[in-house]
Amino acid sequence: MLALLLVAAAAVAGCGSSGASDSTLHSTWIDPHHSGQLERGPGEPFVERTELARRSRPVRQLALFAQFTDAHVRDEESPARVPFLDRYGGAFSSTFRPQEALSPQVLTATVRAIDALRPQAVVETGDLIDNDQFNELTQALAILHGGEVDPNSGAPGYSGVQSRSSPDPLYYRPDVDAPRHLGLLAAAERHFRSPGLKAPWYPVVGNHDLLVQGEVAPTAALNAVATGSRRVVQLDPSVRVSAADERFAAAEVAHLLANGLPGRTAYTPPDPRRRLLQPPELLARLRAASAAGGSGPLLRYSFDIGPDLRAIVLDTVRRDQGSGGIISPVQVAWLRSQLASAGRRWVVVFSHQALTTFPEAQPALALLDHDPHVIATIAGNSHRNRIEARRTPAGGYWVITTSSLADYPQQARAFRLVQTADGRVALETWMIDHDGGDMAGVARELSYLDVQGGRPNGFAGARSDRNAILFR
Amino acid sequence: MTLPGGLTASVRRLRVHPGRTLIAALGIAAAAAMLGAAVTVAYGLHTGFDRSARRADLPDVIARFDDQPQQRVDARLRTLPNLRARSYRREFTGVPLDANGHASQNGVLQAVGGGRRGYAIVAGRDLRRPDEAVGERGVAREWNISVGQRIGIGNARLRVVGVAVSPDNVAFPLAKGPRVYVSQSALSPRIGTRVNIALIWLNDPSLLDQTLTQARAASFGVGGLRFLTRAGVRTTIDQAAGIVIALLVAFSVVALCSAGVMLMASAQAEVERRLQGIGVMRAIGFSPRAVVGQHVLDAGVLALPAGAAGIAAGALVASRPSANLLESINELPPGAALLGPLALALLLVVLLVAGSAALPAWRAARRPVVSVLRRGELAPVSRASRFPAGFLGMGMRLTAARRGRAFATVAVLTISAAVVLAMLGMATLLNGLRNDPGLVGKRYQLTVNAPASEVAAIRRVPGVQAAAPRYVLFAADSFLLGESLKVVAYPGDHTPFEDPPLASGRRLRSNGEAEVGTGIADALGVRPGSELAIELPSGREVRFRVTGLVRAFDNDGRVVYTRPARLLAADPSLTGEIAVKLAPGADQRAVARRLFAGGHPAQRITGGTTRNASFLSVLAALLRAVALVDGLVCLYILVQALALTARERRSTIAVLRASGAGRREVLLVLAGAALVVVLAAAPAAVLLELAVLGPAVSHLAASYVSLPLHARAGQVAIVVGALLVLAVAAAALAGRRLQREPVVAGLRSD
Repeated sequence: MLALLLVAAAAVAGCGSSGASDSTLHSTWIDPHHSGQLERGPGEPFVERTELARRSRPVRQLALFAQFTDAHVRDEESPARVPFLDRYGGAFSSTFRPQEALSPQVLTATVRAIDALRPQAVVETGDLIDNDQFNELTQALAILHGGEVDPNSGAPGYSGVQSRSSPDPLYYRPDVDAPRHLGLLAAAERHFRSPGLKAPWYPVVGNHDLLVQGEVAPTAALNAVATGSRRVVQLDPSVRVSAADERFAAAEVAHLLANGLPGRTAYTPPDPRRRLLQPPELLARLRAASAAGGSGPLLRYSFDIGPDLRAIVLDTVRRDQGSGGIISPVQVAWLRSQLASAGRRWVVVFSHQALTTFPEAQPALALLDHDPHVIATIAGNSHRNRIEARRTPAGGYWVITTSSLADYPQQARAFRLVQTADGRVALETWMIDHDGGDMAGVARELSYLDVQGGRPNGFAGARSDRNAILFR
Repeated sequence: MTLPGGLTASVRRLRVHPGRTLIAALGIAAAAAMLGAAVTVAYGLHTGFDRSARRADLPDVIARFDDQPQQRVDARLRTLPNLRARSYRREFTGVPLDANGHASQNGVLQAVGGGRRGYAIVAGRDLRRPDEAVGERGVAREWNISVGQRIGIGNARLRVVGVAVSPDNVAFPLAKGPRVYVSQSALSPRIGTRVNIALIWLNDPSLLDQTLTQARAASFGVGGLRFLTRAGVRTTIDQAAGIVIALLVAFSVVALCSAGVMLMASAQAEVERRLQGIGVMRAIGFSPRAVVGQHVLDAGVLALPAGAAGIAAGALVASRPSANLLESINELPPGAALLGPLALALLLVVLLVAGSAALPAWRAARRPVVSVLRRGELAPVSRASRFPAGFLGMGMRLTAARRGRAFATVAVLTISAAVVLAMLGMATLLNGLRNDPGLVGKRYQLTVNAPASEVAAIRRVPGVQAAAPRYVLFAADSFLLGESLKVVAYPGDHTPFEDPPLASGRRLRSNGEAEVGTGIADALGVRPGSELAIELPSGREVRFRVTGLVRAFDNDGRVVYTRPARLLAADPSLTGEIAVKLAPGADQRAVARRLFAGGHPAQRITGGTTRNASFLSVLAALLRAVALVDGLVCLYILVQALALTARERRSTIAVLRASGAGRREVLLVLAGAALVVVLAAAPAAVLLELAVLGPAVSHLAASYVSLPLHARAGQVAIVVGALLVLAVAAAALAGRRLQREPVVAGLRSD
């Protein structure tokens, strides 16, 4: 009897521990003086969310898993990029980021932080890469698999809008502009090693994985630009750009490229590894690397995280154009079958776009709303930490989105499903800061300063959107 | 109130010889007055900007841009990191203003929105209603506007409810136009919610650069954007006030040091005068410590009231001109905050006097009693010395016999005279800066507002030696956006027109090269071979290779000389003027008339400082006040030295008088005693000013340039002449006292 009590006590104690030094339960990054300078601050304790169920004591861990999303590993030297649109703001604000050359290092630092958690599974919820390029995916998969990573493209060293010699002061140039980081770009292009994810990982496809700049399907013309030796440095003044224009329709892009590149160009060292990926190749490489992902033209599949939790992955990415989501009736039917096959197991549903953000997801939501075992939907895409309770006739579930690794706060999310004393469950979730190593700390600093980034846009969310116990 | 025993005794001792005590007190007071004046000027000016900026809540950054909807600007500003607060204004220039019979067509009207103001109300209150106005202190003073009166702004007449000070610019009339504030709501029907100035306060001003980098990143589509930081505002004010303020502060520092030396010399002289007393004290058994203690106490008792009176007098004399000067540059006087530094100065005076009394007293008390009683310091003067024969030479020998004292007197007189010479040199420089463009490295005399295509026509005008397009623009360093600079560009060699001395490196030779003033070079850390990136007002960036550093006076050395090709490529709308250099001997007015006749109205080039007469008269008053105090100090030093000599040589002079020497002969003896000091001090003072004081003041005032602060020959003659006159005056003063004394009393004194 005494032995049983000790085991039970140890299990309960374990429920309150994150087990990782980068857990924001212990400490996190804060700007105590609102000066733009981040410092290590105290941790953020759990906020108990009882919108769906009353508070109850956790007694047993059922599953432990992690999510990271929107890493946007990018070939920032690629001529297929459109950083000159960044200054128009609005929908174009993601076309250039001050910290963009460090995206591989940020993902690696996140991998290390997640490894320290020792989860049973890791889910990557889309936009692993930024521009549908072969070399971007090669870098990202090398980081997740572990081993040598080559973040460079084109000629050795950095060649792009942030170089010291760049005459355009609207781009942050780390060698000369404040905060000055001498040699940062050269260092960012050097080979490095990634430890790789220790746990099994599961990919979710995002619009930036499949579409050029997350908006346009790859075409031969775009592929020629990506692998070519000229990049646009200034858009032709005759091209009318409105920050409200999010969509670059394929026809418009084709029209723009009909007479060559639309503006003043500069030489850039070409690289055939920048070729654009067609969806089948991309999905094949993701499946091969993760050993997960099912089969067929959509990356939809399910897997178990321990004996008590079933994870269902949906593919919500349009293949033609645009960042809005889509779920076909066929996929809805597939979802119904997966829910049915989950039996008495608890269910979490992963997708890139949150299902509540596009109307085409209504049928899928209707299915989830009537299933009493669905605990949460977990997504990325918005780059924002948010947790909402969705009340349904079946008891409701939590709609969770997680911040990106591309923008501040560059956090991943940990989940622990626990059984509570009253026989129900609670989903404990907390944010994980990357460890800041290999220049990732500089990336976090720059992402915090970015006037178009996560700080002014409130991507970190409220405290209740970050570390919370979600009773169900 | 009863004083402690020691103090009572000390006061009693000082009362024994009231005349001598008075002279000593006057000496201390004179030096302390100089100190008080120096502290008042130096503290007021040195802390003026920071004090006023704090009081006015001056923003860390003033962003100016082309008119924009406030909402649009705010949407970008609020995304900045490190942002503490922001507010907006709409500025109109060239607004007709009138009040009390005064009028200006160059009025500056600023419609202020909600939030922090960035100015301090110094009279009345702030804006509350649309029909109210707040006038800047400069215009209120110049136009005698008081709270409650009305001011005409265009066709409207608004009630002035307050007077404001904002050190973001110099005050009217030093500034071109009078400035008036109204609330945004007063003019909102006409101007809507458009703004062209944003005031930005930061949480951590030390991180200004990274905030500005982000502000620039967010600025696309905002035309004409310029950032003016606090440091930039300070530079603007410095530039507007010329080099004057820096010179005054530097001068005050030097004056402060010299006052200290004088105080020390004065205290030492006082101890020497009491050597016999020290001998007596030692003879009756006082320990050296007791002797020193008594002298320190006596010196302190004397120095405290005399020093306080002197410092108060100096502060009073300097405070009004100093306050006027501060007002001219929109800064606030220190008020009660000055009491602290003055109290410290008084403490310094007392400590210096007491300390200076302690050392010689200690030395004297340690000497054999007999030697002290015989005033053993007297040294024999060789008969073969080159002093002239007669009464004048006898006086000289009497002074030379006291080598230590003679040296100290010469030293102090040297410093005082050197300070006066430095002041005269400064006055000459100021005048030159006002009138002589050559002094600041400008070799052209006229400018013509005409396109570059007119250069050939202008060159053909008789009397014109050379003409060239000259482009000027104000920009910022592209990497450190808080560092503003002035760019001057000539298509070819700029040295025939502007020739700042090369400090290092070489002159520029091609379009991609630049010479950089040491002022901005020091701020940016650039050297020959460095790359210089300039962000133009258009937002474009232009880069140059630095080939040399120049000691340019212009814009506090924050100037860059280059060629215009790259500037014009980046901003084709850039327009310049034509610099016109006259042929040697050509009449400037005649050439200007010819140019005008040819359709090219010309502007005369002035120096590097303001032309405002009232501002310069304020400065002149300040200089006069300090000069007056310094002159009094010189007189005191001489009288003191002669009084000591006369006292020591009482019996000698009594013998002379008993032998038939009259008033004239005694005067000659004393004049000789004074002249020997003056003749030694005069060349030393010239040397000191030339070699030390001038360069030191120049360096303190403007390390980025070599200012010609040396006194001219005429000024040297005036100072030497004044010293001689002072010597005679001092001899007369001392002689009168001797003449009053019966001969018998003098004969008995030994």
